[in-house]
Amino acid sequence: MRLPRLKLEKVVALKGWGAAKVSIYSIITAFIIFSAFLLWEGANPIEAYRHIFSFAFDPRLGLVSTLHRSMFLLFATLAFILPLKAGLWNIGMEGQFYLGTVGAFAVAYAWGDLPSGALIPLMLIAAALFGAGYGVIAGFLRGKLGVNEIVVTLMLNLTAFWLIQFLIVGGPWAGIGECRSRPLPDSAVAPEIGGLPFTVFLAIAISVIFFILFTRSKVGYQIRSFGSNPSAARHVGMSPFKISVLVMAVAGAIAGLSAYHMWAGDPRFYMIPQPEAYKSIGDLTYWGIMVGLLCLLNPLAAIPVSIFVGALKVGGPVLIRRMKLPFGLDLLFLGILFLSFVAFQFFYRYRIKRVKEKR
Amino acid sequence: MWSFIARSLEITTIFLLASIGELLDQRGGVLNVGIEGLMLLGAASGFLTALWSGSILLGFVVGTIVGGIFGLLHGFFSITLKVDQVVSGMGIWIFAMGFTTYWADSYSGPLPKGLSPPGIGGYLSPIFFLAVALVLIVWFLLSKTHLGLKIRSVGENPSAAEATGINVARTRYLCVVVGGLSGGLAGAFLSLDYFGIWGHLLTGGMGWIALALVLFSLWRPFILFAGALIFGFVWQFSISPEAIAPGLGIPLGIIRMFPFIVTIIVLVVISTPKFRRKWGLAKPAALGEPYIKE
Amino acid sequence: MRIGELPNLIQKMRSTLSGKPERRKGRVRESLVSGLKRGETVLEARGITKRFPGVVANDHIDFDIKAGEIHAVLGENGAGKTTLMNILFGILRPDEGGIYVRGRKVEFKSPLDAIDLGIGMVHQHRKLILAHTALENIVLGHPETGKIPDMRRAEEEVGKLCRKYGFKIDLNARVWQLSAGEQQLVEILKALYRGAKLLILDEPTSVLTPLETERFLKSLRAMARGELAIVPFITHKLPEVLGVSDRVTILRKGKVMKRLETRKATMKALARHMVGREVLFRLKKPKVKIGKEVLRVENLSALSDKGILALKGVSFSIREGEIFGIAGISGNGQHELAEALAGLRKAEGGKILFRGKDITRASVLQRLKMGIGYIPSERVEVGTIREFSLVDNIAMNLYFDKEYFKWGFLDRGKIREHAKKAILEFDVMAPNIDTKAAHLSGGNLQKLILARVVPRTSRLLIANLPTHGLDVGATEFVRNRLMACKKEGIGILLISEDLDEVLQMSDRIAPIYEGKFVGIVPAKKARKESIGAMMAGAPLEKTRKREGSR
Repeated sequence: MRLPRLKLEKVVALKGWGAAKVSIYSIITAFIIFSAFLLWEGANPIEAYRHIFSFAFDPRLGLVSTLHRSMFLLFATLAFILPLKAGLWNIGMEGQFYLGTVGAFAVAYAWGDLPSGALIPLMLIAAALFGAGYGVIAGFLRGKLGVNEIVVTLMLNLTAFWLIQFLIVGGPWAGIGECRSRPLPDSAVAPEIGGLPFTVFLAIAISVIFFILFTRSKVGYQIRSFGSNPSAARHVGMSPFKISVLVMAVAGAIAGLSAYHMWAGDPRFYMIPQPEAYKSIGDLTYWGIMVGLLCLLNPLAAIPVSIFVGALKVGGPVLIRRMKLPFGLDLLFLGILFLSFVAFQFFYRYRIKRVKEKR
Repeated sequence: MWSFIARSLEITTIFLLASIGELLDQRGGVLNVGIEGLMLLGAASGFLTALWSGSILLGFVVGTIVGGIFGLLHGFFSITLKVDQVVSGMGIWIFAMGFTTYWADSYSGPLPKGLSPPGIGGYLSPIFFLAVALVLIVWFLLSKTHLGLKIRSVGENPSAAEATGINVARTRYLCVVVGGLSGGLAGAFLSLDYFGIWGHLLTGGMGWIALALVLFSLWRPFILFAGALIFGFVWQFSISPEAIAPGLGIPLGIIRMFPFIVTIIVLVVISTPKFRRKWGLAKPAALGEPYIKE
Repeated sequence: MRIGELPNLIQKMRSTLSGKPERRKGRVRESLVSGLKRGETVLEARGITKRFPGVVANDHIDFDIKAGEIHAVLGENGAGKTTLMNILFGILRPDEGGIYVRGRKVEFKSPLDAIDLGIGMVHQHRKLILAHTALENIVLGHPETGKIPDMRRAEEEVGKLCRKYGFKIDLNARVWQLSAGEQQLVEILKALYRGAKLLILDEPTSVLTPLETERFLKSLRAMARGELAIVPFITHKLPEVLGVSDRVTILRKGKVMKRLETRKATMKALARHMVGREVLFRLKKPKVKIGKEVLRVENLSALSDKGILALKGVSFSIREGEIFGIAGISGNGQHELAEALAGLRKAEGGKILFRGKDITRASVLQRLKMGIGYIPSERVEVGTIREFSLVDNIAMNLYFDKEYFKWGFLDRGKIREHAKKAILEFDVMAPNIDTKAAHLSGGNLQKLILARVVPRTSRLLIANLPTHGLDVGATEFVRNRLMACKKEGIGILLISEDLDEVLQMSDRIAPIYEGKFVGIVPAKKARKESIGAMMAGAPLEKTRKREGSR
């Protein structure tokens, strides 16, 4: 029996449904592998998923938390998607988030006696500006000198982590608890709409704006061109420098905004917690990479996927407690999902076709 | 003072091990940005092995092998599946982040007493000399041997290399596995020797600095060595500045930032037009591109 | 993607790892090719047939080559030369027919088998490692090169080969520093060092200057005298190669049209056999009134990508309705000139004046807005965006125009209108205007680029290798369109490696050599031989003298 001859056929940037299938298959595979893990740990996978999602989506229990975390994720995802559309890998959401924290808290501490109507917009602006500034560093270096933005954003992440540490651990913002910050003034707390902090709707609004931007605007066209073929874009006069700086500034601003959403939008915080805690929130931003890639950089698709991941994140600890599993389960799932996605990337570029035998 | 130097050299060892493997990798044309991940996996598996088996040596061995396995995995994704090498490397890193957090964080803490690594004069580990030897070996391999010539060819022009009978895939797999092994060893050394402790994401960015080091070094082992020495010093300085400059009075958080800021500065310097040209010429031409046989 | 394909994936993985053995411990099978006597048949191909979907590339071709002989194979693009060449070298397997080396039937599973038997190939697109030295390239992959290559001994042995055949080359230079001709020598040496007795040459003279060609042909003769067998496959520069060959075989549409001994052949007969009809490609050059000056360049210099001065101070002007042709072998600064004029490359020195205004420092975008159009030389890498649809590609020259992008948003309707018109006008063949550019053939891609650039060009068009690699139909179309632009009063800078094209289309011609114009010659006064000589550096006066003495 002759084995069928196979041919690798290159596919042109699989789009639409075909590409979505890749994402779906990788999610399914990740679930299968993750379930295997659960089994190995002595837990029933179906039970486990039931625990997670029933908690996460129960309005009396986890729904608010789920939505809150999901929108944090959405901010991070949007901050990742925009530069990647232009071909830049922004891994610096963590650092931009930290800088946004610095901006928002600086304003809150300095002008805490202002009424909410004035204070909150100022905090938002500061958070966005600080985040944008941080993003611009990488964008500027990439645009002007071609410095690899992956390494730069990562270095900036690590730097920002220590900046926060400096500020709150025995530093100028230290609070009563030894490694925490002082609490935010009451007027800084995010007002709610329908039980959810208004920033939730802000995130969704930005997502929709992005979608319109990408498909219909001049800037969006330039970003897409640059992302597909930077040389060709250069040849028709688009400026690599301007685009790099622009996308990184906006991305940084969005990641910065997420800081206000996180700390001022969740009653369990209203301050910067100790390093382990704020680091674990910072780690969440890496989900932004995964969600962004899975959604094929589509900002609208990012909304449901973020909610899904948020549910996992919020329901996970419940599962851990109820089934006595080790901490970090959701990060594990992220890791498995990412590898699974990488593997399925193969089908994003190639189709395996059977060579038709000649009659 | 001596202890500062010794610790500094230990960091150098870690940087060296992590980056010399990547240098070999990149000379062969494969970019692995997941060094941080390899190190994390090596560190975690080495630590856990030592904890459960009571043998540091076994810990080193397992850590190295685990690194090699994931190097192989990266190779499989990049070479056979021809997936984007950056995505694959990041996948390994993020997987490592998740996997080691889940697996090892519950064991956070020091190794039990009695498990201590070998050291010369009680301080300097023999693995430092292993790392130096590795640098020499890689230098010799790349510049003087036929295999080294083949590796370099594969990194410059894989189709030309293939035409002379070289198996591009096999050569690249070799490089990527060696890179994985040395990255894993670097991580194991970090958790077992330098720290003797496990903590959340123990590597703290060292793998990324190692990647940057490879870029700085213009892919030359000796320059890499110099870079590793300098950064070993900078890193150790950021942890215990009082050994060199007591009474400097810079708060802990600020001084811990130094290595990362220095990295950025060096990256910027080598990207200026003057250096860029030299860098562009030294760069393996096919770096980062999957090889597709016609 | 179907999950059923998974086992095949594993199969593929296995074959990647175990597949081509690193290098079988084989050497040139000395028994087969040693001790060749002059005139002995080295290789014979009988009845070679190869079919591809829809076409018979090789149709029962017979071919043979003797030791000490140079046997050229002629044919147009598409005649089946490449296929035959690949079969002889083991890249392809014939569907029918066989290859016999010294009478023994052989089968090539891969080029390595051919190399083992003493067959070497020199490709048109160099397969060399540019960053390595010539010697390193020659030694690479040779089975007898030990684990630690003895470079000094290799240098000696290769040096002997150089002296034997009269090759002049610095073995320790990096290949990227060598000229095209020298790089070719490196490839030949590589094959000879591997023990090749039969050399297949793919378009060996296409990128050589006339002087290099002469030297190369001398080497060929020296190699033939040394009992090597040489088969050059050529399309152009017939006279030169035929000057040294003993026999010539002409292929057309996959069949052997004719085989002759060269001394019995005439140029015209050969051309006729190749093409099947009288080739008279005369362009209709429209009578156009040449208007005022549109571009003036003064002493323009620019650096190459490697940082060396590639354009060393050129000065010229172009007027409305005029085609200014730059003739030269690639690598002499014309690419840098094109990019400097388009704004893609910084001018190291000199001035560029567009309709009187100094635009030396103007950005690409500013120049586009002024009506300067640039057709880049690389249509796939740079001229089009393959993931974009035809419409989106055409929008590349519209995005800065408020007419089409109002208030920062796309006017979809207007853009599509414009695109439809342009695609129709420029004959871009595609299922619909939303097809992705990646699905277009080379000719259609070039037409797409024209559709994108030309309607938006009002004064000056820079055409960088516009017909490079195109088939006859597309080439004709592009040339006619350029003539149409000329009629509209657009000044055109034409850069081309095809000397005939430049001669037929331009009003004035400037041969470029090593970054400088050797002269600027009005088309009426230009003779092909003299322009060709100037492209190789011969100064204007000398050629005039030569013509005078005729």
